[in-house]
Amino acid sequence: MRKMIALLFFMFFGFGLTAQTLNVKGVVKDINSGETLPGVSVVIKGTTIGTETDFDGIYNLSNVKKGSVLVFKYLGMKPKEAVVDSNEINVFLEESAEALDEIIIVGYGSQKRKDVTGSVSIVGAETLEALKPIDATTALQGTTAGVAVNLSSGAPGAKVNILIRGVSSNTSNQPLTIVDGYEGDLNSINPNDIESITVLKDAQAAIYGIKGANGVVLVTTKIGKKNKAPTVKYDTYAAIQQTTRRLDYLNATEYALVLNEAYAASGQSLPFSDVSQLGVGSNFQDELFNDAFLINHNISVSGGGENSRYFISASRTEQDGIIAKENSNFIRNNIKMNLGVDISDKLNFSVIANYFTTASEGFAGSVLFNGLNYAPTFGLNEDDENNFLGIELINPLNQLKNTYNKNNGTGLEGNFKLAYKPIEGLKITSRVGYKIFNEKGRTFTPIQNYGNSKVFNIQQSSVYQFKATSTRVVWETFANYDKTFAEDHNTTFTLGTSVQNDLFDGIYASGINVPNNSYDFADLSLTDPQNEQRSLNSGFNDLRLISYFSRLQYNYKGKYLFSGLVRRDAASVFDKDLRVDYFWSATTGWKVSDEDFLKDNKTISFLKLRGSYGTLGNLVGNNLNRSFLNGEGTYVFDGALVDGTAQGGLPNPLAQWETAEKLDIGLDINLFDDKVTIVADYFEESRKNLLIQNFPVSGILGTAAPGGGNPTVNAGTSVNTGAELAINYTAIKTEDASLNLSYNVTYVKNEVTNVRGGAFIEGGGFAIGNLPPSRMEVGQPIGYFYGLQTDGLFQTQAEVEAHPSQAALGAVVTSPGDIRYKDINNDGVIDINDRTNIGKPQADFFMGFNFSGTYKKWDFSAYLYSELGKEIVRNYERFLPNVNKPAYYLGRWTGEGTSNSIPRLTNDATNNKLFSDFFVEDGSFLRLQNVQIGYNLAADVLEKAGISKLRLYTSINNLFTITDYSGYDPTINGGAIGAGIDSGNYPSARQFILGLNVEF
Amino acid sequence: MKNINKKISITIIIIASLCIVNGCSDDYLDNTKVYAEDSESFFNSEADYYNALVAAYDPLQSTFINVLMGEIASNNTLCGGESATDVQGYQQVDDMIHTPVNTQLQNLWSFMFGGVNRAAYIIEFEDKTDFAGKEVIIGEARFLRAYYNFELVKWFGAIPIKPEGRFVVGDEQTIPRSPVADVYALIEQDLEYAVANLSYNAPQIGRVTKGAAEALLGKVYLYQDKFTESATILESVITNGSYSLESDYNKIFESQGENGTGAVFEVQYTDVEGAGFGCLQCSEGNVAVGFQGVRGYDGDLFTSGFSFNVPTQEMVDQFETGDNRKGVAILDIEAWATDTGASYTTGYEHTGFFNRKYIPRKRSTEAAGDLNLTNPNNYRAIRYADVLLMAAEAFNRSSSPDDAKAKMYLNKVRERAFGNADNNITTTGTNLTAVIYKERRVELVGEGHHFFDLVRTGRGANISGFTTGKHEVFPIPLEEIQFSQGNWSQNQNY
Repeated sequence: MRKMIALLFFMFFGFGLTAQTLNVKGVVKDINSGETLPGVSVVIKGTTIGTETDFDGIYNLSNVKKGSVLVFKYLGMKPKEAVVDSNEINVFLEESAEALDEIIIVGYGSQKRKDVTGSVSIVGAETLEALKPIDATTALQGTTAGVAVNLSSGAPGAKVNILIRGVSSNTSNQPLTIVDGYEGDLNSINPNDIESITVLKDAQAAIYGIKGANGVVLVTTKIGKKNKAPTVKYDTYAAIQQTTRRLDYLNATEYALVLNEAYAASGQSLPFSDVSQLGVGSNFQDELFNDAFLINHNISVSGGGENSRYFISASRTEQDGIIAKENSNFIRNNIKMNLGVDISDKLNFSVIANYFTTASEGFAGSVLFNGLNYAPTFGLNEDDENNFLGIELINPLNQLKNTYNKNNGTGLEGNFKLAYKPIEGLKITSRVGYKIFNEKGRTFTPIQNYGNSKVFNIQQSSVYQFKATSTRVVWETFANYDKTFAEDHNTTFTLGTSVQNDLFDGIYASGINVPNNSYDFADLSLTDPQNEQRSLNSGFNDLRLISYFSRLQYNYKGKYLFSGLVRRDAASVFDKDLRVDYFWSATTGWKVSDEDFLKDNKTISFLKLRGSYGTLGNLVGNNLNRSFLNGEGTYVFDGALVDGTAQGGLPNPLAQWETAEKLDIGLDINLFDDKVTIVADYFEESRKNLLIQNFPVSGILGTAAPGGGNPTVNAGTSVNTGAELAINYTAIKTEDASLNLSYNVTYVKNEVTNVRGGAFIEGGGFAIGNLPPSRMEVGQPIGYFYGLQTDGLFQTQAEVEAHPSQAALGAVVTSPGDIRYKDINNDGVIDINDRTNIGKPQADFFMGFNFSGTYKKWDFSAYLYSELGKEIVRNYERFLPNVNKPAYYLGRWTGEGTSNSIPRLTNDATNNKLFSDFFVEDGSFLRLQNVQIGYNLAADVLEKAGISKLRLYTSINNLFTITDYSGYDPTINGGAIGAGIDSGNYPSARQFILGLNVEF
Repeated sequence: MKNINKKISITIIIIASLCIVNGCSDDYLDNTKVYAEDSESFFNSEADYYNALVAAYDPLQSTFINVLMGEIASNNTLCGGESATDVQGYQQVDDMIHTPVNTQLQNLWSFMFGGVNRAAYIIEFEDKTDFAGKEVIIGEARFLRAYYNFELVKWFGAIPIKPEGRFVVGDEQTIPRSPVADVYALIEQDLEYAVANLSYNAPQIGRVTKGAAEALLGKVYLYQDKFTESATILESVITNGSYSLESDYNKIFESQGENGTGAVFEVQYTDVEGAGFGCLQCSEGNVAVGFQGVRGYDGDLFTSGFSFNVPTQEMVDQFETGDNRKGVAILDIEAWATDTGASYTTGYEHTGFFNRKYIPRKRSTEAAGDLNLTNPNNYRAIRYADVLLMAAEAFNRSSSPDDAKAKMYLNKVRERAFGNADNNITTTGTNLTAVIYKERRVELVGEGHHFFDLVRTGRGANISGFTTGKHEVFPIPLEEIQFSQGNWSQNQNY
């Protein structure tokens, strides 16, 4: 304080005495890179007089009074002040490390980070650059607290699921994704085009009303800076990919011995009389997996003139699958253009356009399942002609040869925006966001024969083709008004409206008898025009939304922060009387560090407490209230099929969207001059009116008739409670070296608190003929596993007899070596009523640990991700006598005391294959997602070549995974009821990457 | 420049206010396109009625489960399948250890009510649009509702009924299970309407005839021990219908015998459309056939299946020497394999016998998969031989019996079976009754009737594990009891 007074005194004194004026000029540079900074605002403090630096970072100001203070401001940099004492003042600006002045987009407006009262996570371009995701979503995994990312499959182009603060809904948990103001998806964007990703996790997102309950992901793409010469960047990388894991299965000799044992145990003759010649046999996994290539090119140009900014980029990504690359691959091309023009001081116009094409090929999920279970005694291309393995297992390699499945997409998305500032503080924005996506697909199913009466056999070839167009137009107009009253009362008022129309229009057709049974002729026009199975169908959907919203943000001296908002949504897909709802939220914050008692605290450099509460919606359910005649009513008259007209699914006139009530209490604290930043949150979310599809109703309503269906009903409530913590530590920051460490952890506990009718909802599937393994039930986490609990194996007949009878489970005889199940309800009988909670698919803890650093010309980083406290159901074994088996069967029970966990082998009916915790494994894991090292070539060498930056790097994705799970990939998950059941999912790839960044 | 700004700003403000005042009012939401027909605004033309009728026939195909499980429930067969746990619902019914928790019984309940509701949909809107010949469509709809309700009352006893139309949400909590007599009364009314309005020649093969309605009504009477009414109406089928016994018993069950001279009512199936396990009731094929096929079979004439519903030695022994039906009804797989070189594998409860009437035959190359689920064999629901035997029983058991007629009808069936009159029956009275019962068993084996014949004649105890006073009907599915919120009580002793 004393210093300040002294400074003021000096300034006043100096001013009073000299009152001399100078013509000041100088250069503004970045302290780190030494680059000149164009477009830096230079203002004389206390006045509106000022200028901006030009292309070369140079500014000129005439008639500046000596002793006055110049303020230099630039986005993302700490502002700097300099006293005018000479006519050349050169300034270095430093990046604002704590990023407290960073501008955060919070939906229809923005705030400085330090003023944000909601729970927000941000991922910057540097993280995206390090992780090299094909789908930018993947970059959120482990880098943002409260966000879990699950792959639906490791296949190229597979859908990536984002979960913000756990699973709440059984219908959709996907957050709303807003890209530069338009509603889009992360999977259509080139990750290189992204400047930052902001995740809104709490009730602050209520400004998005009916669409905000799953959280909101706001993506900002790159745009050039004004008055900056074009910067050209070229980035490329190539990778070799391989599977992260192969499963340990029996080889031919082991398999034959194990089979012989099972046959002998049942008193049957041995299937393999001589095992000595079998050797290891065929390894179908080895044949299915291959090393695959991945390549990415990316070029961009950005810059700006006096009144304009631009960013143009083009990219191409080609990824082959690690299984059957001929049948599994993905290509995406992007062309991106961002352009902003100041038509006048008050009017700005911008255009954003992202054009993309995708091409992908995929194969049936059963290939890997067949690969595991097909017996190693068969030759690589040998079919199981005589059904030794049962009718449902076929040679996976032959299956792949008959796979022809191609999909192509072309899309254009973006927005047009006009922003007008008629008076000081008022900004009116009107923008039209659009997305057009055309998709087409072609699946050819040739005649196939895998052996006598296999269910995969196809007698007639067919081709299926579809074309579908989705369009979305959102027109939004809103005004933001900033005004400060009586110096200390800072307010921002927002008022707006949004109109949305989503249309889907698709045509689907299939034809029979493709000429020559060949893909070359697989087109509808060539198929048999008379065939009864030729089909033609269409799909159409029209969704409209009208919304109004208003928000007031207020703070007193920047210390006491408050915001309140309300949004009204009306959606066309619900009954007229039920389609309107209001959503609201209130948030508050207190910047404790601005209080006098903390102002000069040496340890705490920033401290903010915040809280939020509000309601949001999840817009799921489409025309559930209407009763359509889209059932199947087909019968045979005069020996031919006749199509009639039947009612489809039972309507639910009362259907509505899901609603969420969210509470968040948080703390932001920066310590030791912002070297350490901590963000901690406690949250509670209650999701009500959960839409349950296929809600069971009485059979008398006729829903079991062909093409009928149970209604979708708002029939449940689930509650997520949890906490998250993110710590960032800037350990070293000098000109030569830097080291940054960060850690985040999220704990989520889910509990279903209400299911209509008091019953449970079940779903999922385990093996064949088992009861559904997953449930949604009051008092339990959503989708928990419900099955029998094992209690070791029976070692002796006496033990069998001493235990309650297990005959009611199906197999009448229980023998030593069989699984002993617990009598959960203590009724003296083991039956299906003894099933209980034996695990859950969603993790308790999600954690990320990341570090990055630089030393001179080297840079390095590593990203670790972990989930703890979740279970996975091992469901890739087919329980038939002759199929191959996992190697753990080598440790099976073969007599008293030999094993207490792996049951005996027999072909007799046993209860050992019922869904129990024997098939439920700990799915916790720790994965090194990425490790990377890069080298920047010396600047002086490059300058001669006109290159400003050239970096070479190498990195490895998914280098290792530590887990007890015995299946392919513990990260694969998704959904609510029925999640966490692994039927032999396509594993994630390990990628060895070599890349290059050039800038000039 | 100022001017331009002003213009632009005015434009924006106009657009924004337009949106708020007019364009964006909620009316915008009312103009969505749907391209779908609404169920409540249907029945505007003859075609609408016809199309709804086709859809009401469709659930007949899901009666495969009634036939298959009905046969398994009887003492004719064992459940079989892959293992002791293969389709547990069937296994439990076979062993008479079924409980209210049984997926297959629940399916049967739901499939049949699906049929009831589709027929009732037409009946509900019968007065909406008039056209010539509407009474035929209504007559067929009422026959179909009677057919489905009769299946339900056979399996579950008292059931909820709603004469005026479809069940709606909430009815399960307010409409009681009507006593069996009331259910039969509705079935009789529906069938009487059908008899009065249909003719012996259907407009298309596969549609209901007057003969089918009379035969079903006769059967319904028989199930209520209304022998006089039964005899009268069945005799009308015999006299007025143009049915005759197909001389070659074997031909009846081959594809060339479908909808033949002895076919009073057949459920139609085809294999030109594919099917999957996800929706068995959606198959246009006869699912029961694939389930009953020989496991892993490779050889002449037949194709493979899942080895369910395997006849017992005791059943096979019911055939008298010289009965030509034995070789048609029962496939002795060991003998067949020895003769023809066919190969097969054995499933659970392998007896060596298969229900030859309904095991899969070799298929055309046009057949759509999954071939196990799309077998095209029609189900011969009411055969003329069945009508004759029902008539024989009705005349024999009538309060004023006419055993001469009873024997005449019975012996028609036997003469075909043996190819001569040497084995004709001459006995009378209750001895004749017993002979008729036995004749029904061998003539109709594998066709899903025997369990209900045993139960309706008080002979359920012939089935091992059968508890009299309990197993005459099956339990109401537990879920249904729960949905009814106390409105429906469980069947006795379940």
